[in-house]
Amino acid sequence: MKLPRKSPLIASAILLVVAVAAIVLLNGPLAGVKVTTARAEQSDLQPKVFGIGTVEARRSYLIGPTVASRVVSVLVDHGDDVKMGQRLAELDPVDLDERMASAANAVERATNAVDVAVAQLSEARSRNELAKASAQRFLELRQKNFVSQDAEAAKQHEANAAKAALAAAEGALAVAQRDHDRLGADRAGVTKQRAQYRLISPINGLVSARDAEPGSTVIAGQSVLRLIDPASLWIRARIDQGRTHGLALAQSADIVLRSRPNEPLPGKIVRIEVNSDSVAEERVVDFAFDRLPEGLSIGETAEVVIRLPSVPNAISVPAAAIRYGRQQTGVWRNVDGKAVFVPIRIGTHTLEGRVQIVAGLARDDEVIVHSSTELSGGEKLRLVESIGR
Amino acid sequence: MISLAGRDILHSWGKYVFTGAGLGLLIGVTLSMAGIYRGMVEDARMLLTNSGADLWVVQRDTLGPYAEPSTLHDDAWRSISGLPGVASVGNATYLTMQAQRGNEDVRVMVVGFESGRPGEPSSLIAGRPIMRSHYEAVVDEKTGFSLGDKVGIRRHNYTVVGITRRMVSSSGDPMVFIPLKDAQEAQFLKDNDAIINDRARTAANPGLNRPGVPGLLDAVIASQSSNHNVNTVLVQVAPGWDENLVADSIRRWKRLQAYTRAQMEEILVAKLIATSARQIAMFLVILSIVSGAIVSFIIYTMTLGKIREIAVLKLIGTPDRTIAGMILQEALGLGLAGFIVGKTVATIWAPYFPKYVLLETGDTVRGFFAVMLICTLASIVAIRAALHVDPATAIGG
Amino acid sequence: MTRPAIHIEGLTKRYGSGDTAVDALKGVDMTISAGEVVGLVGPSGSGKTTLLKCLGAVIEPSSGCMDLDGQRIFDDSAGGWQINDLRALRRDQIGFVFQAPYLIPFLDVTDNVALSLMLAGKANNVARQRAYELLKALDVSHRAGATVSSLSGGEQQRVAIARALANQPPVILADEPTAPLDSERALTVIRILNEMAQTYRAAIIVVTHDEKIIPTFRRIYHIRDGKTYEVAGEGRSL
Repeated sequence: MKLPRKSPLIASAILLVVAVAAIVLLNGPLAGVKVTTARAEQSDLQPKVFGIGTVEARRSYLIGPTVASRVVSVLVDHGDDVKMGQRLAELDPVDLDERMASAANAVERATNAVDVAVAQLSEARSRNELAKASAQRFLELRQKNFVSQDAEAAKQHEANAAKAALAAAEGALAVAQRDHDRLGADRAGVTKQRAQYRLISPINGLVSARDAEPGSTVIAGQSVLRLIDPASLWIRARIDQGRTHGLALAQSADIVLRSRPNEPLPGKIVRIEVNSDSVAEERVVDFAFDRLPEGLSIGETAEVVIRLPSVPNAISVPAAAIRYGRQQTGVWRNVDGKAVFVPIRIGTHTLEGRVQIVAGLARDDEVIVHSSTELSGGEKLRLVESIGR
Repeated sequence: MISLAGRDILHSWGKYVFTGAGLGLLIGVTLSMAGIYRGMVEDARMLLTNSGADLWVVQRDTLGPYAEPSTLHDDAWRSISGLPGVASVGNATYLTMQAQRGNEDVRVMVVGFESGRPGEPSSLIAGRPIMRSHYEAVVDEKTGFSLGDKVGIRRHNYTVVGITRRMVSSSGDPMVFIPLKDAQEAQFLKDNDAIINDRARTAANPGLNRPGVPGLLDAVIASQSSNHNVNTVLVQVAPGWDENLVADSIRRWKRLQAYTRAQMEEILVAKLIATSARQIAMFLVILSIVSGAIVSFIIYTMTLGKIREIAVLKLIGTPDRTIAGMILQEALGLGLAGFIVGKTVATIWAPYFPKYVLLETGDTVRGFFAVMLICTLASIVAIRAALHVDPATAIGG
Repeated sequence: MTRPAIHIEGLTKRYGSGDTAVDALKGVDMTISAGEVVGLVGPSGSGKTTLLKCLGAVIEPSSGCMDLDGQRIFDDSAGGWQINDLRALRRDQIGFVFQAPYLIPFLDVTDNVALSLMLAGKANNVARQRAYELLKALDVSHRAGATVSSLSGGEQQRVAIARALANQPPVILADEPTAPLDSERALTVIRILNEMAQTYRAAIIVVTHDEKIIPTFRRIYHIRDGKTYEVAGEGRSL
């Protein structure tokens, strides 16, 4: 083969050496660590707290019997509006209706008995009067010796008997009254019992579940229907305990329902529950909507973002720059082209990824944000715009 | 004296370069194979380094959390954090599974971690760390996601807010970091059909669904649907403390096992990747032998093609050592050219392998000497042949 | 009388041993002076190639003695080769011209010629300079930097002759140097050999059976069945 001219051969040999050297320098251990930097900014920070919750009804009612019974009819269904006092369902009263009739009858009879007792009392009273007058007259007559001792005694005895009969009649009336009252109370009791088998709505609300159908047996305390007060729908959210400092009632929040991910709805904190979840380490915080939206479904997941009071003139850096070391928190800084760890104290942070620096950095100080490998101190640095492949 | 080898190379430089390139590809493959092995070991080491832990506390009698499944209660950290020498602790879960990217699946290792505790990815190459307690993710660049993409894990979509580099599992699957509670749910809760199925099974169980006890079924289902387990507790040891002592004191809590970094490395390297490592080592040996054989063949053939010239050279008085030197120099030159080509192509194509390929400088140097040695040994055969050439054959045609 | 460039007495060469032994040379006597161009003619199988190989110190004769430029190089009664470094002998004392030029293809023309000089220890530039002079003498210096493959057959043969002359050896062995050539070129080659013999005082043996050039020799050694017979040649002028 013909030998090529010397100069292109030398040129390509040099090119090859340069290429190999370039590969070694750019990729090998001699190349510096690629890093991006940012300057600490001073601005007003708007920290926010994030939580996940579900839509729940603040007030919900479990409607069911107080004794085991069978459902006879359910008069409303899932989704119906109900008024306070509306009859919702009927349970089988078994023999209660009969007992109520019986009790009513008993009360009637007792009333009649009272009438009888009253009449008898009247009669006894009148007889008493008569006997008393008669005895008095005979006493006067005896004093005048117009009648015998026996006759006066007999009349006296009649008067005593009539008095006793009066007392007895009074007593009998009282008994009849008591009986009447007792039977009246019995009837009231049976009526109340009967009322238990009729489920009445305690509120103006919405039926959220129909749990039993006619014919099924339910035990005491089991739900036949569930009602909610639709105006009381709110979000019950769980916030990480570590972030709950600074939360207060009436702080405003944005609520994002899972069904409407692009429509944040305004709301505010209405309750911060006293009991936390110690296992999950979360606090339960409740939010009300400023304007209750249509078509909420209970149990729907929602995200809440609480706007905490803004921190004015805070010095902040991107969160990616913060390193939580073993002993202290700090950032990496570029000092003469090498990486140096600088300890800092951090304050609050925003959900967009800025962290407040309370001590350790001044405004416009440059910090290292991203690095192509983990830094451990002293590495040569190569500043780039972004860390590519 | 001119260099006969140099002249010969320059004369048929095209053939030489071509042969060198071919040999270079073979050498490149061999170097890449070594790089694959190193990459595997390095992946295992990076896995341990990236977790930021000095000790791994796992279920007793397991080699977890990477080599074997391990389950701990998520409140086990409380008793560990009180021990002397423990600087900080963090719960972590690991689950290798498919994540959704649009319509396709990506195989990832989902890592659940707690913000600000060991287990959180420390350095990012883009974006920011997770700031919300749910539904944000930091992913490794090898997953192929960009900032702002949505990763589908089980029933939720997680927004990618940060990207890391070189955070992979020991089998090379890239990691996706999500908040611990989300990871616990992902590890435990299945898809909607399975959940409905499970609820129906529980409702059909008369022991759990008693009419006389309203609310029992709901309570049972609720307890079945929650997960309070983690795979490991990562521990950072306070400065100045010997991690072996701290690990010992953790082991004394009889229900738990604790491994130091050195022990975890041994578990991963010696047990987890041992078989793959042996596989690769065997292949590497075979490849080296094959490379040696091919180099020998090439050099021998090149020499045979010069038999006549060698006879003439001997006849006109070229000493044996000069001829041997020419063959040796050509062999070494071929080896050098091949090695340069091989190292260059290996460096160029290494990033395109699906798993990490680490071309160590030490391996490169060792490879260079190995190539030179193989070329020398290979040239011995050719030299023997050349020395046996009888100069008399030049006479008498 | 000046000492002869080549003097051979009773040279024999036996290949193999026992029943299968072949006696290629059965007693060769030969004397050639410096500046002479002598023909060695014989049919194939007559042993001329063997004789050439013995003269070229590439095979060891079985018996007899050989003197080269007055120096005894082989004496079987004294134990065989009298020279330790046969290679150096070939390099410095003997030049070879073959049937085909057998130039080294990866060396250029100048280096092909200069190689022997460099092997002899001359500095590269000195060797090349001397090679150039030789090429000039052979009228082929205008191709000094060319590759071998770009030369014509005749040019290559001339370069081959220049190579043979590089170290100014006292003896040049030419093995059928004109076999592939036509008569005009063949005579040119013989003419050149004669010129070189005169100029450089070399003794040249030309092994040939080419009828075109045999008449040009003044002396011819016939060789048959391993024995040589000297005859006078025609000595036709060129």
